[in-house]
Amino acid sequence: MTATGTTRVLTDLDVMVAGQGGDGSLTVANLLGILLGRRGFHLYVARDVASRIKGGHAAALMRGSLVPRGSLGDRIDLLVAFDAEAIEKGGPRLADDGVVIFDASDGPADRQHLPAGARIFEIPFARMAVRDLRRDLFKNSLAFGVAARMLGAPDTEAEEILAQRFSHLRPEVAAANLDALREGFAYADAQGLGEGASPWRLDSADAGDRILISGNEALAFGFLVAGGRFYAGYPITPASEILSWLERRLPQFGGVALQAEDELAAVNLAIGAALAGVRAMTATSGPGLALMQEGISQLGSAEIPVVVVDCQRSGPSTGMPTKPEQSDIGMVVHGGNGDFPRVVLAPGDPTDCFELGVEATNLAHLFQGPVFVLLDQAVSQDSMTVPPFAVDEVEIEPGKVLTAEELAAMGEYRRYAITEDGISPWAVPGTPGGMNLVTGNERNEWGQVSTDPTNRVAMMDKRMRKLETVLPRLPRGRRFGRADAPVGILGIGMQLGVMVEAVELLEADGIAVAGFQPRTLWPLLDETAEFVEARERVYVVEHNAEAQLTHLLASVGIPRERLVPILRYDGIPFRPGELAGRILAEEVGA
Amino acid sequence: MTATYAPARPIWCAGCGHFGVQGAMAHAFAALQIPPHEIVVLAGIGCSGTVQNNLGTYGYHALHGRVLPTAAGVHLANPHLTVVAAGGDGDGYAIGMGHLVHAFRRDLPFVYVVMNNGVYGLTKGQDSPTRHGLSGIGGFDAIDLGLSIPATGFLARGFSRHPAQLQRLMTDAIRYAREAKGFAFIEVLSPCVTYNDTYASWEQAVVDVAHVDDHDPTDRAAAFAVTTGLAAEGKIATGQILLDPDREPRREPVPAAEDLRPAVHASAYAEILDRYRV
Repeated sequence: MTATGTTRVLTDLDVMVAGQGGDGSLTVANLLGILLGRRGFHLYVARDVASRIKGGHAAALMRGSLVPRGSLGDRIDLLVAFDAEAIEKGGPRLADDGVVIFDASDGPADRQHLPAGARIFEIPFARMAVRDLRRDLFKNSLAFGVAARMLGAPDTEAEEILAQRFSHLRPEVAAANLDALREGFAYADAQGLGEGASPWRLDSADAGDRILISGNEALAFGFLVAGGRFYAGYPITPASEILSWLERRLPQFGGVALQAEDELAAVNLAIGAALAGVRAMTATSGPGLALMQEGISQLGSAEIPVVVVDCQRSGPSTGMPTKPEQSDIGMVVHGGNGDFPRVVLAPGDPTDCFELGVEATNLAHLFQGPVFVLLDQAVSQDSMTVPPFAVDEVEIEPGKVLTAEELAAMGEYRRYAITEDGISPWAVPGTPGGMNLVTGNERNEWGQVSTDPTNRVAMMDKRMRKLETVLPRLPRGRRFGRADAPVGILGIGMQLGVMVEAVELLEADGIAVAGFQPRTLWPLLDETAEFVEARERVYVVEHNAEAQLTHLLASVGIPRERLVPILRYDGIPFRPGELAGRILAEEVGA
Repeated sequence: MTATYAPARPIWCAGCGHFGVQGAMAHAFAALQIPPHEIVVLAGIGCSGTVQNNLGTYGYHALHGRVLPTAAGVHLANPHLTVVAAGGDGDGYAIGMGHLVHAFRRDLPFVYVVMNNGVYGLTKGQDSPTRHGLSGIGGFDAIDLGLSIPATGFLARGFSRHPAQLQRLMTDAIRYAREAKGFAFIEVLSPCVTYNDTYASWEQAVVDVAHVDDHDPTDRAAAFAVTTGLAAEGKIATGQILLDPDREPRREPVPAAEDLRPAVHASAYAEILDRYRV
């Protein structure tokens, strides 16, 4: 935020709209998002909800910025609070000169949670909405009216936005919302906040073509475009949007999505579809992935291509279902009984989710085994604006799937033929002449169960070779900050956006930092080791208590003494300033 | 002709009931003239979980208890295939029991054959859920369970010592599934001669419902009365216990036949993308 005279020109602001679940916080945030979007702001949108259907504290958190940002900011500039708890939760994060629009229907705000310089508008929204408009929910449009005035938007623009957002409603309901909005204007007038009188003004820019999408949606979309036509899943937070997205979309493309009776069924349904040659995926979170372990080992042993998505949440066990964590790293990299090759991809934003969703879907078929996509609750469920995905550039890579003609020319077909690249040509059921046996037991080239020690070693080595074969194509990581800096910062998933900004903040404080986000987590690529080896120390930012990523890096020979874990496991994502502060404190001590 | 794997010789003990099951499957495939490349036989874990090796079709060895969701996945991906899931009573009624209820409920057109011998043979004779029979305390009757779920349309029980009946039931089940009418369930009384030789006692107990005057396989309530009535007398109902005569073939998508090329779907994909434009 910059100040010009008495007017503050906003280029980057955080908004929190909070109340009880069902209050409509998301609606107000949506309306404000449309306003910011029209001015060319990039958006980052998160939700903070309780694990219950209705009620409980629920907040929509939104950051608008002219520079694209991959996380919320440290301070809240505008807090729309529908109850006292919203002030309690949001107040401590309010900027010193922040503004609160408070629903005072149940009495005045408790100001002890607010900074001294904060400005507060206390308005009995709910009472006014019920009294004048006969419906509590109209308080959202009323609140938006005051918020739009605060952001310096002309009244006509606010009215346009409301009409756009509520165009699907019955005309009389849309009209009542418009009345509510105007009541908000009238209230603002009475408080000295007339049209054009706000000390705040939104800057604007041409942001170009953008989409606003969550990681879960982007990943599901990538799977679809890459030819994914079968999905099975069991409802679990924060993965359920993938199930609902694909239940809606796959049937439109001749595909099938279904809700399984449990995660054991989900992974085995995907196995069955993959056996029949269809590109298949399942998605879950930690507890569900724990149930899928046997199936994942089966994918590795029997050489079946399935994409397995883990949207991590706070563990252990049931943990904190709606809160983010990165504590399944050990399970995805090492889970499942026995030795088998696997790939783990780790997207950091919706663009990554789309691209790695495509890559995982192709890779599973090329590699004939399990390919994980590892998200976390923030990457999964937060939405942000990104350039539209390059859908036209997606290619379907079929892998070594045999046609009937190719089979006929072969003379002899062995499902598990030992090949130089480890990948055996694959005949899917229905292909004449390709009859074969698929099994998770050790077997000979024909698929017949075998415990012969020589065969065993040859088969294990064949499977492991597949990883070397696909190694050159595995997605490279993203670098940012100062490439030659002796200090590094490294993290996956939701840490990406926070790290990028923290590096800028540290640079401003005179500390040059090189940043790296590995996008292939397993196998760890040489570039990851090289990044660490080129620095004196690297801060490894992770949301877990055991420093799982740090241990993973050290397990492949990356010097542990150069790695400094920056850990957090309270269920709240880092904010850029907080992260920069943690590193600054370490650097002062270093 | 491409040479592929040679069907294996069964691993079963001489006299094992499973020979009769395998014979009935082979008989049905031949009788219905299904080319082997259009058949997928999936089997669970245990002695019964090797039947897929012996038939010359596409075969899959499923995880313990998971043959039903896997078979459902194969069917949903390519409904043109003939899908036969097989397994033992431990596989289907203990570790995999949760899936059986949902297979009945979902009613996808494939066949499930449970070879019930009341025992875990491959691990040397531990009790299975049907060790204490099909009725009474400790017992379990999968046909009665199937009758209790409204979606079921084909429930049958055979006895591996009665091959003519078993072959007929197997052929009818596979035909029913191939005609996309729904899920076809056959339990086969298939004794384990080593750990639980029940040939003699089952020979005494089985009653073909075709010879029961009150039986009407199109009447669910009557069928339940017959099976539970026989059970009360210490008997076991065999034959076609339930057959819904009014099934229309299902029309299902065929994901395996879809053209995946993005160019074909370019406008539909662009439309989805547009929905997210700010």
